Amino acid sequence: MEKKRNVAKLLWLLMFFSDIVPFSCEKSMRERALELMQDARLIDGHNDFVLQLRILYQNKISGVNLRELNKTHTNLAKLQAGYVGAQFWSVYVLCSAQNKDAVRLTLEQIDVVKRMCNSYEELELVVTSQGISDSRGIACLIGIEGGHSIDSSLATLRMYYDLGVRYMTLTHTCNTPWSESSSKGIHNFYPSVIGLTAFGQEVIKEMNRLGMLIDLSHTSYSTVKAALNISKAPVIFSHSAAFSVCNHSRNVPDDILQQLKKNKGIIMVAFNADVLACGRKVVNISTLADHFDHIKEIAGSESIGIGADYDGVEHFPEGLEDVSKYPSLIEELLRRGWNEAELKGILRENFLRVFREVENVRNTFGVMDAGESEILQEEKHSCRLDLGKPQAQPSRSFALSSVAQPLSLTLVSCLMLYYEIYGV
Amino acid sequence: MPGGNVWVLVLALALPSTGQQHLEEAERIMSTTPVIDGHNDLPWQLLRKFNNQLRLPAANLTLLNDTHTNIPKLRRGHVGGQFWSVYVPCETQNKDSVRRTLEQMDVVQRMCDLYPETFACVTDSSGIREAFRSGKVASLIGVEGGHSIDSSLGVLRTLYRLGARYMTLTHSCNTPWADNWLVDTDDEKPVHHGLSPFGKTVVEEMNRLGMMVDLAHVSVDTMKVVLNISKAPVIFSHSSAYSICPHRRNVPDDVLQLVASTGSLVMVNFYNAYVTCSDKAKLSDVADHMDHVKKVAGAQAKFDGLLVCPVSLERWHCHPPIHCHFWKTINVGVRNQTSLFSP
Repeated sequence: MEKKRNVAKLLWLLMFFSDIVPFSCEKSMRERALELMQDARLIDGHNDFVLQLRILYQNKISGVNLRELNKTHTNLAKLQAGYVGAQFWSVYVLCSAQNKDAVRLTLEQIDVVKRMCNSYEELELVVTSQGISDSRGIACLIGIEGGHSIDSSLATLRMYYDLGVRYMTLTHTCNTPWSESSSKGIHNFYPSVIGLTAFGQEVIKEMNRLGMLIDLSHTSYSTVKAALNISKAPVIFSHSAAFSVCNHSRNVPDDILQQLKKNKGIIMVAFNADVLACGRKVVNISTLADHFDHIKEIAGSESIGIGADYDGVEHFPEGLEDVSKYPSLIEELLRRGWNEAELKGILRENFLRVFREVENVRNTFGVMDAGESEILQEEKHSCRLDLGKPQAQPSRSFALSSVAQPLSLTLVSCLMLYYEIYGV
Repeated sequence: MPGGNVWVLVLALALPSTGQQHLEEAERIMSTTPVIDGHNDLPWQLLRKFNNQLRLPAANLTLLNDTHTNIPKLRRGHVGGQFWSVYVPCETQNKDSVRRTLEQMDVVQRMCDLYPETFACVTDSSGIREAFRSGKVASLIGVEGGHSIDSSLGVLRTLYRLGARYMTLTHSCNTPWADNWLVDTDDEKPVHHGLSPFGKTVVEEMNRLGMMVDLAHVSVDTMKVVLNISKAPVIFSHSSAYSICPHRRNVPDDVLQLVASTGSLVMVNFYNAYVTCSDKAKLSDVADHMDHVKKVAGAQAKFDGLLVCPVSLERWHCHPPIHCHFWKTINVGVRNQTSLFSP
C-alpha cells in the first residue's frame, strides 16, 4: 500500500514536472528567439507596403501616420516589434504599365520611399552593406520588382541605381522584351522570349558592373539558369520558397538550390501561404519552417534569408499575420534544432555576405565600361517616339537654320567684327 | 605724298594694336573669370548622331568636328560652366518622355566619367567654383520642357535628385499645366493663360527643392505669372530681347523690368532668328541684345546679380571678341566686366 502511494506520488510529481518543464522550455525558446533577434535584427528582402501607399493614399503620405496604420500588414511600430533592422521596400509597378508609363510610376514609387524614410526618425535610407551594418534604426533599401520598370534602357537602369535602387527582380508576372517570367497566362507580353535574350545578358552584366543585386524571384527556370551562368556576382531570390516542398512556379527547384550554393547566393524565403502550402488548408509556422529545413538540407543554411512579401499578397500562415510576427519563426526554428550561428545567418549575415560580394564585384569594373547596348527594336509602339537611325545632320523640330549656316555665319561675324574694330 | 603715306602706315599699324589690346584684355579677363553658359544641346547631338554611344571613335569629344561644341572649342571659348540640356522632343509628351529624359541625363553623367580631366559634373554653386579652381568645365543639367516630368511631382523630385538644376517649364509645346511661346503667335491658342493651378504647384515645388525655374520657351503670360509667384529668382536660359528682335521666343521690356525687380537673369541666345529676326546675324547684333537688356533691367539694380551670359549655338572661340566688342561700345570698367561672366 505504502509502495502504491509512493508510486502515485511519484506519478503526480512527474506529471507536475512534465507540465512545468515544457512550459519553461517554450518560454526560454521565445526568450532565446527575442534575444537573438535583438542582437541580429532581421534584413527582410521584400515588402510591398509602398504599393499599398499608392493604392490607399495615392502616395499622399504626409497626413498618414505610418507608425500606427492598421489597414496593412506593415506599420513602423510592428516592424520594430518584429525586430526588423533593414527592409527592402519594393517599388513595384503593375505589369500592365509595361510599354506605357512604367518608368514614371517607378520613379514615383522611389520618391515615396525616400519621402517616407526622410519623414520618420526611426527610418534611415541606406545604399550599402556597411550602411545596413551601421544603422541603429530601420535601414531602408529599395528594390525594383520587374524589368519592365527599366523600359529596356540600360541608362534608366543606371539612373535607378543612382537613386538608390539596389536590386532588380528581372521580371514580375510578365515577360519583358529581354527576360522570361515564371508566370504564364497572366499577361500576354513577349510570349516568345525564353530565358534571357542577348540584351537580357547585357542587363545582367550592367547590374554586375553597377553593383546592383540580381533578383530571380518571379523569373522562369531558363532565366534563372541563364543568370546564374552569366553573373559574376552572387544572386538572390528576394521572396521565393522551395519547389520540392510546394511545386508552385514561384518556387526554386533543388538543382537550382544547389547551383545557388555554388554561386554563394541567397534565397530569402517568402511567407506567402499560396507558395508555401500548394493549396493545403492548414498553413502555419510549421509549414514555413519545412521550407527552411529543406533548403538547409540541399543548399546549406548559409544560402538562406527571409523575404516575407508582406503587403504584396493576401494569405499568410497562421501565426505570421503581420510584420511583428517574425520572432515566431525563429522560435520554431530553434525548436527544430537550428543553432544560433545558423539563425543569425538567415536573419542578416548571409544577406550581408552576398551584398558585400556584389559590391566587391562592382569594384573590379571601371567607369569606362558603362553598357551602351540597346535592345533591337522589333516593333514600334504607339507609346514610343521613333527617332529613326542616328543622323549625320541632326535637326530639331522648331529649328529654322541648318548646321552649315551658323558655321559660315561664324566666319562672317568674325570678319565683320574685325572690320568694326579695325575700321576702314 | 611720302608724308601722307607714312601717316597711313602709322594709322594702319596703330588701329590693329588697339583692337588687339581689346582682345587681349578680353582673354585676360576670361582666363580668370570664365563664362557660365546657360544652355547647350550637345547631349541631343550625341543622341542623334551616335545614339549616346560615347565610346564610338567618331564620338570622341576632343576630335568631334561637326558640332558647335567640342572640348578644344570649350577651352578656347573660356567656358567655365555649362548647363547641358537634356532636351527630349515634344513628340515624346505622353509617350516616353520620362525615360528619354533619364537617358539624356545618363549621357551627361557619362561625359563626365569619360572625360574627367575636362568635365566635372556638379550640382551647386560651390561645385562650380571648385571646378573653376581645378580648371575644369563645371557641368550641370537643365531639363528642357515640362513634358519631361509627365505631370508628376514625384518625377520632378527624382530629376532633382539625379542632378537637374533647372527646368524650362515648356519647350515649344504646352504641357497640361503651362502655356508655351507659340500661343503668343497665330499658331496656337492659349490654354492656361500662363499656369494652371498644378503649374503653380510645380513652381512652388521647384522653389522648395532649389531647382531654378527657366522661362525660355514659355508664353508671356507664363513669364509674368511665374515672376510674380516664384519665391526665388528665375532665369531665361536662352532668350534674347523682344525690343531688338520681336520674336516671341524673346523677352519683352515689361517682363525685363520684372526680371530686374526679382533679381532674375536673362541668358542671351545667339540663334540668328532670335537675334535679328532673320536668318543672318553678326556678333554686334548679339551685343545689342546685351546692351538692351542691361539698359531696361537697369545697370544699377544689382548689376552683379544681373548676369547676361551669351549662349552660343555656334562660335565658342569667338567669346573673347563678343566681350571685346561689348566693352568697346559701352566703356564699362573691368570690374563690372568680370561680373558679367560669373556670379
